[in-house]
Amino acid sequence: MKFTPITTTCLIAGAVFFPGAPAYSASCCGGGSSSSLLLPKASQAMIDTSIDIEQYDGFWNKEGDHINDPPDSDLNQYRLNLAYAHRLASRWQASVIMPYVWNDNQYSGLSTQTNGLGDTKINLWYEAFDDVTCVWKIKKMADLKPSAYFGATLTLPSGVSSFDDVDNNFDITGRGFYRLDGNMLIEKTIYPWSTALLLSYGKYFERSVNREYGKYVEPYDMNLGDRLLATLSLGYTQFLDSMDTVTYTLAFSRLQEEKAEINGRTDPTSGFEKRSFALTAAYATMARDWVFKATWAHAIDQDGWGENFPTTDVLTLGVSYVLR
Amino acid sequence: MYCVKKWLPACLLVILFNTTGCQGVTDDLTPSDSDKRPTVVSGSTGSQPTQSAPDFTAVDTLNNSRTLSSEFALADSVVLYFTMWCPICDSHMSHIRSQLIPEFPNVRFLVIDYVTGSVAASRAAQLSNGYAGFTVLADSNQTLHDTFKGSMGITVVIDGAGIIKMNEYYKDGRKLRETLAALP
Repeated sequence: MKFTPITTTCLIAGAVFFPGAPAYSASCCGGGSSSSLLLPKASQAMIDTSIDIEQYDGFWNKEGDHINDPPDSDLNQYRLNLAYAHRLASRWQASVIMPYVWNDNQYSGLSTQTNGLGDTKINLWYEAFDDVTCVWKIKKMADLKPSAYFGATLTLPSGVSSFDDVDNNFDITGRGFYRLDGNMLIEKTIYPWSTALLLSYGKYFERSVNREYGKYVEPYDMNLGDRLLATLSLGYTQFLDSMDTVTYTLAFSRLQEEKAEINGRTDPTSGFEKRSFALTAAYATMARDWVFKATWAHAIDQDGWGENFPTTDVLTLGVSYVLR
Repeated sequence: MYCVKKWLPACLLVILFNTTGCQGVTDDLTPSDSDKRPTVVSGSTGSQPTQSAPDFTAVDTLNNSRTLSSEFALADSVVLYFTMWCPICDSHMSHIRSQLIPEFPNVRFLVIDYVTGSVAASRAAQLSNGYAGFTVLADSNQTLHDTFKGSMGITVVIDGAGIIKMNEYYKDGRKLRETLAALP
């Protein structure tokens, strides 16, 4: 199979598009998670590194009302995400993402700085297509066929959670639970426009707890609620004279987690929801081996845009190197 | 380039295992169900269940001086809830307000703000979070935080005899309800 520059542009779309899904962390509710990683079709491997700069701007309470932080607050989390994706077969790929997290919080009378490994993600993806589905014009019904990816993500609780030796949620870098997500990504490009839909449904694994915020307690079993993430994105690709490309992507995401269970009984104080927008600009070189990305994920700090969750803005700067 | 392709996955795995092998990180990878609570002498002064709660003096957000002993003049028992005004704390406090305060009218619920640096700022946080009706103690120097080994969401129940009946994270509020219901 021989790839033209246009073809390789299409093949890189996965790498460009997927970062449109905002990174969700929120140290106050379990931080350290990073966005996913998808290897372009014709590539053997990809190295990806990115920096997330997340700034807190109050939170939504259980009723969905937005509450501001105190005037002197400056709450931030920074993450360095190291990722590697590898092609296992023509339709199969796997990747691992490891974030390292720095919490830097000034909250009125409390100042804390902590750092540590975040929760690690291991991904396995199946590509339900062989041929490139990107087209310039619709000439026949087959041209409407999208690219479909189906995958699974295992989250390892390698971060520091509220069940470790910490004093409060300013210090944590992970949720403390194993989670398995089933993922589906449908993507279609009709140049210069592209659209993608990502659906992800995750189930946590129940665990024993014998310590909370550094204090040993009577052991009990706990499980977090099922988690649903849906992201819809629309992109526009601009071809430069050099045949380098710049792709602009606007994404809308909704993240929801059901209520947790403690010893099999529902915890009425748990569960959350967040809706946000993300704007991504991705620059890819003509050979499509280097991709530079910048994403700004913005949550609306108004009533009704989330529940029981911090309101944050996340700026992500990243670079990917594709090995063919 | 071949070397990079060949060795990079192995290097990443080595980094992963080395890092997760650090002390404390593996706690969540291999959770324990062992009861590691410290043993204490019942009736001795301290912060753990069965111990006698030390008396304290603190200032509330209306600048009133309050002591534990004076609170017992107002109620049969006292609950201390440590807040940092975060979403989880808000969820707990909302649950206390809607579910537990009406059910236990003879219990004093005191919120301890251990993260806000002044009485005025603590009062502002109390009002902006919608808890004007609560009695909030401004623990600006974290004296109560240290005395009761408090932290985010920690809930302490002290019965009428001054004995601590519970000192742990709020979770779903069920343990607090059961503890209060069991008080004489």
